[in-house]
Parts: sequence; structure tokens; C-alpha cells
Amino acid sequence: MSTVGTHAWTRVETAAPPGATAALRAEWVKFWTVRSTPWSLAAMFLLGAGLTTLVCALSAEALARGDVGEPVGAFVTWGIVFAQVTAVVLGALVVTSEYGTGMIRATLAATPRRGAVLAAKAAVLATTLFVAGTLTALAGYLGGNWFLDREGIGLALTDDGVLRSMVGSGLYMAGLGLFAAAVGLLVRHTAAALAIVLGLVFVVGNLVMVLPGAWGEWATKLMPGNAGSAVATPESFNPLLLDPWVGFAVFLAEVAVVLAVAAAVFTRRDA
Amino acid sequence: MISAHRLTKTYGDRTAVDGISFTVEPGRVTGFLGPNGAGKSTTMRMVLGLDRPTSGSVTVNGRRYADYPAPLREVGALLEARALHPGRSARDHLRWLAASNGIPRTRVDEVLDLVGITAVADQRVGRFSLGMGQRLGIAAALIGDPPVVVLDEPVNGLDPEGIRWVRTLARDLATEGRTVFVSSHLMSEMALTADHLVVIGRGRVLADCSTAEFVAQHAASHVRVRSPQHDQVATLLRHQGLDVAAHGGELRVRGLDPAGVGELVGRSGLLLHELTLVRSSLEDAFMTLTADSVEYAGAAR
Repeated sequence: MSTVGTHAWTRVETAAPPGATAALRAEWVKFWTVRSTPWSLAAMFLLGAGLTTLVCALSAEALARGDVGEPVGAFVTWGIVFAQVTAVVLGALVVTSEYGTGMIRATLAATPRRGAVLAAKAAVLATTLFVAGTLTALAGYLGGNWFLDREGIGLALTDDGVLRSMVGSGLYMAGLGLFAAAVGLLVRHTAAALAIVLGLVFVVGNLVMVLPGAWGEWATKLMPGNAGSAVATPESFNPLLLDPWVGFAVFLAEVAVVLAVAAAVFTRRDA
Repeated sequence: MISAHRLTKTYGDRTAVDGISFTVEPGRVTGFLGPNGAGKSTTMRMVLGLDRPTSGSVTVNGRRYADYPAPLREVGALLEARALHPGRSARDHLRWLAASNGIPRTRVDEVLDLVGITAVADQRVGRFSLGMGQRLGIAAALIGDPPVVVLDEPVNGLDPEGIRWVRTLARDLATEGRTVFVSSHLMSEMALTADHLVVIGRGRVLADCSTAEFVAQHAASHVRVRSPQHDQVATLLRHQGLDVAAHGGELRVRGLDPAGVGELVGRSGLLLHELTLVRSSLEDAFMTLTADSVEYAGAAR
């Protein structure tokens, strides 16, 4: 099988140096050539759109009778609470799968500018999650609202907060994915990254609600999952939360801080 | 050309690479030889800008690796066979590498063909044998058609045919004028592949010379002598100032060739049953040279 001796070697065309988008294209190819990506996105769609539709179908009648005591607006994005897990998983895997397999060395040998690697990963992840999150929310709204409409309590896309919550779902997914990726970059381990992010969003975020007084109230408002998720629903089940865009700004600031720390560590650390 | 200058790497209070300097010239295969834990992989990671040297520097064709805008076109490296995502196909792995350095996609098929894995190019690499994984790693190293090729333990886990293939490839790449730097902990393999050797142990350069020179200097030999008059022969040879050691029923004589030993014994009218020149293997030479620098020497030694 000695193919080398008989092979004509030609120098690769080296006319143009790779453009600024080379790292981006590499990350795009990487992102879409592992199965975890389509699986995570399919799971997001099924949970986000499927559960929303199901819950609306099951509770439309009770909502119409007015004996639920919860805002209708909270139901048209109901599944997003569960769909956000997939954004966390995808975000963590984009980074930690490279550390788990040793791929990170190939990545950094190909693109030694680590800032460029991180920026490309973040751009691919955030763009995909924004599009997927928005489409998921929109599909859930369309599916769920069909049942609500039948009971005469449907919401129009132009109603207060509905369109915002669709785009907001995409933004929240993107932010959550970046948060998980940043934590993944710091701990370099899939299970650890997932435990930390899911624990913060689902467990700690809910536990602080039982803390007494103003302290507990502010801790509740500022936890990343609580602050960021308000933008993803027309009306929240939890009246304590910050206003949608204020909350999202707080969430983005938190993500930015973790990402900045992760970037600083990443650019200095041995691969 | 790769130039390391007083290259040092410490992890906490452990010194992995201790101020080593060497150059790897183009047009020949340079073997980077040392026992496990000697600092070979750490050195290679510093060459590729993956690990930051604690002090000193290493450059490839005059520039730091990380300063190249498209490093894969300058240096191709096989670092570890498993620096791959097991769920990605071989073709996709090469596709993202090509994209990262602006290398035309046609080159992906070329290198797949070159290493002979075109037939399995669309299979996930998690299913690959160690040998196929190594071939893919070498395809990745060659994707930018680089003038400098760095291969870290390329024959690990390969079958004899694969080993011969890597050896031929390394030699062909050097013949084409490329700089080829191959690490191994197997002296016998390097003796067949490398023109030049850089031997390290415990992070220091122990030898930096041509393979032939290394063999001449370090592969010791002795003459094995068996005689029914064992003791008289030993006394006779010792009187001639030779180094004679008794091992069971044989004598190991150093300092004279078999002809000389035979003549001495014959002139004294003593009987000989065996007279053999024994060369210690290169592996032995390597062991002797690095004996003091093996990180975890076996307790029995």
C-alpha cells in the first residue's frame, strides 16, 4: 500500500492567505459534522414546540373557563423551559467534546490565534441557537395557539409581547449556549459543565426563591436563568422577575463576564 | 528547518524540558529519540505553539509557529492518533482542517488517496483501527503540503506493513527536500528511518549526531570465548591487558577483535570451542545511554 513513492507531489496553491472567515468556516464544518448538533436541535424543537402545543391543547378549555389563574401568555411558550436544556447541552459540547477527544490540539494547531477560534465558535453557536430557538418558539406558538383560538382565547402575533417572546426565545437560547460554552471552556469536561450550568439555571435559580426578604427577591431576579428567560415568554408565570429586556440585559452581562474570564484563561493556558 | 534554543518547560517544580537546543535540517529524517517521559511530546507541543515555553524559544523556518497566518501550509503535524472527534467522518475531519487554512477542498481527496483510506473516508473515525487512525492523522499532517513535517510516535500501534509504510513515507518526504522530524521511543525503528538523531532523556539532549555516528559510538561489542581450559585462557588474556569478564562458561573479552584473540590463544597452545564477535544491539546502546534518565525505572533494575 505504499502509495507515496508513485505519487506526484505538487505544492498546494498558496497564493492567498486564508481570510478572516477561515476559522469561521472551519467551525461551521465541525459544528454540522457531528451528530450531537442535529440531535440537540431536533430535541429542542420537539420539546419547545411539541410540549407547548400539547400543554395548550390540554389546558385550553380550563384557561377559557378562567379557572387556571395563570396568564394565557405564559402558555404559548411553555415548552421553552424544557427546550433550554438542549441549548445548554449543545453549547457545552461545542467546547468540551474537543477537550474530551484531544481535538482541541488539532484545532489550535490549525488556528493558533485562540481569540479567533473562540470568536468563531461563539458566532456559529449563537447564530444557530438564535435561529433554532426563534423557529421553535414560533412553531410552538402556532401549534398551541391553534387550540387556544378554538376556545376563543388565542393571542395574535401582534399582541403585546408575543412577537418579542419569539425573537426573545432565540436570543435566550443563544445566550444560554454561550454561557454553557464559556463554562465548558473553564472546566473542560462535559459532565462538569452540564452540572454547573443546569444546576445554576434549574436548581439554584429556583432554590433562591425561598430565601427570605429582599435578599432572596434580588437573588431570584438576578440568577441567569431567571433574568434571561423573561424575554422568552409574553407573560411570565413568576411575577417577581425583572422586565423582559432589563432581565435579558442582566443575563447578557453575566454571560459576557463568564465568557471574558473563559477567554482570558483559554488564551493563556497550554492546550 | 526547526530551531530550538535553550527551550525549557516546567510544570510546577517538575522540569519536563530542560534548556534543550537543536536544529532539524531539511532534506533528511531527524529522529527524536528518548524513553517515555523524556520530554519529546512536550517539545513537539512547544514547536506547534500549543504549550508556551517557560523560557527559550523554538522557530520553524525562522518564525514562531503561531505567527504563521496559515500554519498547516508550513508545518504538518501528527500529534496523537486520537486528536479526532470519534463521531466525525475522516473526510469531514480533513474538510474542516482544509477550511481553517484556506486549502482547496480538492486537496482532501488527494491526501485521502495518498494514505490509502479513500474507501473508508465517509465512515466515522470512532470505528477506525489504530492503523487507520494513524493514516488519517498523517493525511491531516500533509493536507497543507507543508515543507516541514512533525510526526510524534507515528508507528505506535501499527502492524509491520504500516510501520514500513510510515518509514517509506518519512524517507520520501525528506527526499523531496522537506524537513522531517519523527519522535519515537524505539531505537531500532529510528535506526532504520532516521539519518540524524537527537536523543533526549529527562528533558536534556544526550546526543545530537548522525545515526551512523551514534551506532559507532554507542553500540559496544565484545568477543565471546569458550574453552575447555577456561581459567588458563582468562589468565592469558588478562595478562595481555584485555578486559575479560567471566559469565558462566563463557568469557567476554573487550579490547581486541576475534582474530587477535584467536591468535593469542593459539600461540599458547590452548584449545578454543567458540570465538564469536557479539555486537550489542542499538536498543542496548540506547538503554545504556538513557539508563540514568529514565523517569520511572523498574524497581528490579
